[in-house]
Amino acid sequence: MSAIDDLAGELAKLPGIGRKTALRLTYHLLKQPPERSRKLAHALEVLRDRVHPCGVCGNLTEDPECAICRDPRRDRTVICTVEEAADIGAIERAGEFRGLYHVLGGRISPLDGVGPEHLTVRELEARVSAGGVSEVIVATNPSVEGEATALYLQQSLVRLGVRVSRIARGLPVGGDLEYADGGTIAQALSARREMI
Amino acid sequence: MTAVSQETSGTTQALPVCVQQVTIRDFRNIERAEVEVPAAGVVLSGLNGHGKTNVLEALHYGHALRSLRGVRDQELVRFGQEAFHLAFTATGGAVDSLGIGVARTGRRKRLVSDGVEVTRLGDAFAAIPSVVVSPRDVVLVAGTPQDRRRYLDLLLAATSRRYLSALQRYRAALVRRNAVLRDQSRAADAAAQAAVWEPALAETGATLWAERVRWVDWAARVTADRCAEMGEPQRFAMRLQSSMRDLTGTEAELHIALAGALERERQSDLRRGMTQHGPHRDDLLLMLAGKMARSFGSGGQQRTIALALRLVEAATLREHRGHDPILLLDDPFAELDRERSARILALVAQHGRGQRFLAIPRDDEVPSGFGDLTRWRIEGGVIRGA
Ligand SMILES: [Zn+2]
Repeated sequence: MSAIDDLAGELAKLPGIGRKTALRLTYHLLKQPPERSRKLAHALEVLRDRVHPCGVCGNLTEDPECAICRDPRRDRTVICTVEEAADIGAIERAGEFRGLYHVLGGRISPLDGVGPEHLTVRELEARVSAGGVSEVIVATNPSVEGEATALYLQQSLVRLGVRVSRIARGLPVGGDLEYADGGTIAQALSARREMI
Repeated sequence: MTAVSQETSGTTQALPVCVQQVTIRDFRNIERAEVEVPAAGVVLSGLNGHGKTNVLEALHYGHALRSLRGVRDQELVRFGQEAFHLAFTATGGAVDSLGIGVARTGRRKRLVSDGVEVTRLGDAFAAIPSVVVSPRDVVLVAGTPQDRRRYLDLLLAATSRRYLSALQRYRAALVRRNAVLRDQSRAADAAAQAAVWEPALAETGATLWAERVRWVDWAARVTADRCAEMGEPQRFAMRLQSSMRDLTGTEAELHIALAGALERERQSDLRRGMTQHGPHRDDLLLMLAGKMARSFGSGGQQRTIALALRLVEAATLREHRGHDPILLLDDPFAELDRERSARILALVAQHGRGQRFLAIPRDDEVPSGFGDLTRWRIEGGVIRGA
C-alpha cells in the first residue's frame, strides 16, 4: 500500500469524511510545504500524549483533574450527567449550568453490546455515595437509548438518597445535545423535572 | 389519526393525487425513462419480465420509500450500475416534487422534496400517496400475522405522523429490550436492564393500539361493504387480536395496562428471550361467516378480501390526505374469471377515482373501463408510446 493510500485510508475512517474527501486532503497536504504536514503530525501526537479523561468527571483535560472540577466557584452539590465529553462543551456554551459534570462514555445500547457495566455508572454512584451531592441531572440525549439510560441511572441513584432529575424534552426527539443551540439547552436544563 | 367517522367516497370533491412527470434512471431493468403522465392515467402493457411491475414499483417508491416487493434498496440498482435515481412532479400530494437517489455503496438514500434535502425519512413518507393492487395481495389474507401488521403499519403511518413516530420508537425500544432478554438474561441486573425499555414500549405501544383499534372499528364495515359488492355472499368481519384480552380502553388506560403486562411478564420474558406482550404480537383477524378466511376461505374469497383491503386503504388515504391516492393496478385480473373481473372493475371505477396505472401483459386485453386511457408498452425496460 502506498503512503498516499495509507493516509487517505486513515482519514476516511474519520466521521463525515468519505473516500474522495480523504484523497483530496491527502493531495492538498502534498502540495503544501512539508512543514505543514510535520506540524499536523506533531499536533496529533501531542494530542494523544496530553489529553485524557479527567480523573473525577471524565471530561477531557491535560491535567489530572479538569478545569471545571478544579474551579472553586462551581456548585459541588449538583452533577450533570452526559453521554460524551463533547456534550459538556455544548452545555458550557449555554452558560446556564454552574455545577459539576459526569461523562458516562456512551449510552446503554444492547444492539452494540453496550450495557451499564461499560459506562461509568459505578463511578457516578461512588461520587454520589461520597456525599455532598444533592441532585444529579441526567442530560443524556432524548433518543430511545438516551431515555433508557436515564431511567437506569435514576433507578441506580435513587437508592443512594439523591434527587435525580431529567432535562426537559425541549430538544427534538433523536436530536443530539452536542448540536443543540445554547438557548434550547438552557431551557431544557431550567425546565428539568424530578424523575420518580 | 383523527377519527374516521364516515365513509365519504362519492362525496369528496378534492382533486386526486396526480403524477405529471416521472424520471427513472437505473432502477431495476429500466436504464432511463423520462415520461409525461396523463392526468387520467395509463395502461402499461408488456410481457412478464419486461419491467411493467418495475414501473409501478418506481411510482410506489414515492409513497413507501422502499421496494414494494421487500428487497433491499441496493438490489433495486440496475445491474452493473452504481446508483438509481427517481424523480417525480405531482399535484395533490404532500410535495410538488420529489427526488430520490440510492447508491449501491451508500448507507442511506438521498431525498430531496421541493428542492430541499430531507434529513429524516419519516418527513417524506407517503409524500406522493399511492396504493398497489396486485394478485400478490392475497398474502394479506393467506399470509402470516406479520404480513397483516405490515399492512396496518404502512397504512396508518401514511395517514398519521403520530403513528409513524410511535412506530419508530416502539420498534427501536423492542429490538433493544429483546436483545437484553436474549443476551443479558444471566446478568445480575438483567431485570433492571430489561425494565428501562418498558416506559417507551408502553407509551408508544398504547398509541399504536389506540390508532389500530380506531381504524379497525371504521374499516371493518367498509371492507364488508366492498366484499358484498364484489359478490361475496358470506358476511365479512374483521377485528384486531392482541396479546391483551381487552383493547377497548382509552389510550391512557392501554398505556397503564401495557406497562403492567410488561412488568408482570418480565421474568417470563427473560426465560423465553422475547417480549410476549405488545402490538408487535397483533393480528388482524379476517373472517367470513365467523370462520377464519386464512384457513377456510377459497382462493377467490381470499382475493376478494385482499382487494377490498386495498380499496379501503385507498379510502383511508383519501379520508386523511384529502386526495384520492394513485392506483397502481399490477395485473389485478390475472387468474380471475370474467364475472369477478367485471365486478372488480366496476368497484375500482366507483371507489378508486384517482389517477390509474394499469399494468397488463397484452394490450388487446384492456378491460372496458380502461379503454380511454393512454397506452404505453414496455419492452426490455424501455417504455414506448409515452
Ligand atoms: Zn472533571
